[in-house]
Amino acid sequence: MTRRDKVLNQNKVAKLGDITKLIEDGDKVAIGGAWLSSHPMALVRQIIRSKIKNLYAMTILGSIDIDLMVGAGCLDRLMFSFVSMEAYGLPMNFRRAVEKGGLKYDEISGLAIILGFEAAGRGVPFLPYRGPFGSDFLKQRPEFYKVINCPFTGEEMIAVPAIKPDVALIHAQRADPAGNIQIEGTAGSDLELAKAAGKVIVTVEEIVPTEVLRENPYKTKIPRFYVDMVIEQPFGAHPTSLVPSYVGDPWHMMKYMEMAASPETFKSYLDEYVMKSEDEYLEAVGGLKQMNLLKKLAREVKLL
Amino acid sequence: MSKYSDDYKPAELMCVAVAAEIEDGDILILGSFTPLAFVSYLLAKVTHAPNVMYMAYSSVDARPFRLSFATYEAAATKGGVARWNMTECINSLYLGVGVDVEPISSIQTDQYGNINLSVVGDYQRPMLRGPGGAGAPEVVKMHRKMLGYFPNHSKRTLVPKVDFITGTRWKIGNEERIKAGLRPGPIKLITNLAILIKEEEGRPFKIASVHPGVTVDDVINNTGFELAIPKDVPETEKPTQEQIRILREEVDPYGMVAFDFIPGKERPAYLKQILDREIKALGY
Repeated sequence: MTRRDKVLNQNKVAKLGDITKLIEDGDKVAIGGAWLSSHPMALVRQIIRSKIKNLYAMTILGSIDIDLMVGAGCLDRLMFSFVSMEAYGLPMNFRRAVEKGGLKYDEISGLAIILGFEAAGRGVPFLPYRGPFGSDFLKQRPEFYKVINCPFTGEEMIAVPAIKPDVALIHAQRADPAGNIQIEGTAGSDLELAKAAGKVIVTVEEIVPTEVLRENPYKTKIPRFYVDMVIEQPFGAHPTSLVPSYVGDPWHMMKYMEMAASPETFKSYLDEYVMKSEDEYLEAVGGLKQMNLLKKLAREVKLL
Repeated sequence: MSKYSDDYKPAELMCVAVAAEIEDGDILILGSFTPLAFVSYLLAKVTHAPNVMYMAYSSVDARPFRLSFATYEAAATKGGVARWNMTECINSLYLGVGVDVEPISSIQTDQYGNINLSVVGDYQRPMLRGPGGAGAPEVVKMHRKMLGYFPNHSKRTLVPKVDFITGTRWKIGNEERIKAGLRPGPIKLITNLAILIKEEEGRPFKIASVHPGVTVDDVINNTGFELAIPKDVPETEKPTQEQIRILREEVDPYGMVAFDFIPGKERPAYLKQILDREIKALGY
């Protein structure tokens, strides 16, 4: 959709299965969320189910979102600054793919990826900053990092190019049918992804009338002129967190780590959890009882 | 009765040493969940540095919280005065104002203080692919002081030259740093054996202190690069009884601080028992 069409279209509500209308094999796909938080996991699972292939995934701080897509063979190439399962251990599909040399990858420092998205969102071909001087990134990726002199002071700076994904995938708390998006907690750089990408697909916990957004307009972080499609998908970030709505699911994360340990058991993971409907997925990970526990835990905090 | 504790775990000593590097008035960012660093931040805030500002996930000026594996992010978020996304935190704090300290654990560090979070072995076909540096490549040069921590001080972690420079202090030595527009401040490594400090470009890391029960030779024999040894090497200050009480009763009742010291194979079981105890304590 052109910007004008995104503004004209006041009903962008779709179903998970509709993402194939916007994502094609070979696309550059930026994945929202950061750390173990707010990743668009239902969309990631749907990409695998829909057998979309040869994607160039882009993440700033990825975790299970990236590991799943690598393991399922959806990616031809990956841009990242960090892929980690943190306390759970190393992301095994990602490791295997890199160590065996099967996955092309662009390791870019974290601030540079964000800056590249910001450049695209502002409509400029590059942005300068006090980049990773002295690191091996400058040698490893000379096409990405350019040392330039400030035209005013002469000071050395590092310039990075605009990064323009074809599609950005985001999960958030709430949207209206027109695609205004409310984010309440951990947001990563989702707004910059939305600004940089040609197309933006957002899953949300709930789709509500626009009047509901107007009650708390300060929560609306992505206005509708960026957004192409909104899909209602409760627990769409599971097993990552969507604070303050629910915490991540440590029990399922441990299960995932066990099953991602070898390619054979990972294949069973895909069969048992991914290659079925999203409703069946939520049943398989513990259903309503488990989801209610994760919601309750998000409120069970002890401040000192 | 001595104010110092004799009943502490190695992880607790390291945690207290990291916390001691945090000064009141510092600005700190909590991101990737690194248990020992998190506990150090929380300990500093509830003891000697109550005015420290945390940026945690999207939460600005988060209140300190009891560390729980299931709920740490929710707790950090609930206690904040504002919510900023990652871009706002990075542009305003890392690049603008300057974050003060951020203890980083890496795969390797070397005699220059470079850190490697990327690969062991060849870059294209590595023996080990690490997680990557996140923001470290840009920001470790900007911190008030650069802080590395290693629960496994050995010739495999403290190497002559890292396989890949993910992050670097870039300018070492206060004069050079100020000339480059950076804040003065050293590189410090806090390990399970000792505290090492590097203050000048051309001079090696110096042993600042050795932990109780560790000899200078232990440190030399486990370090892959040359060290400067002062005539009198002090002993690292032990945790106080009060610090240990606060750690175990208030900040970290489930013992998350020891996580980095647990061998990789045993970590899932360790996490599982922490989780079980947390859930039981909540009455579920």
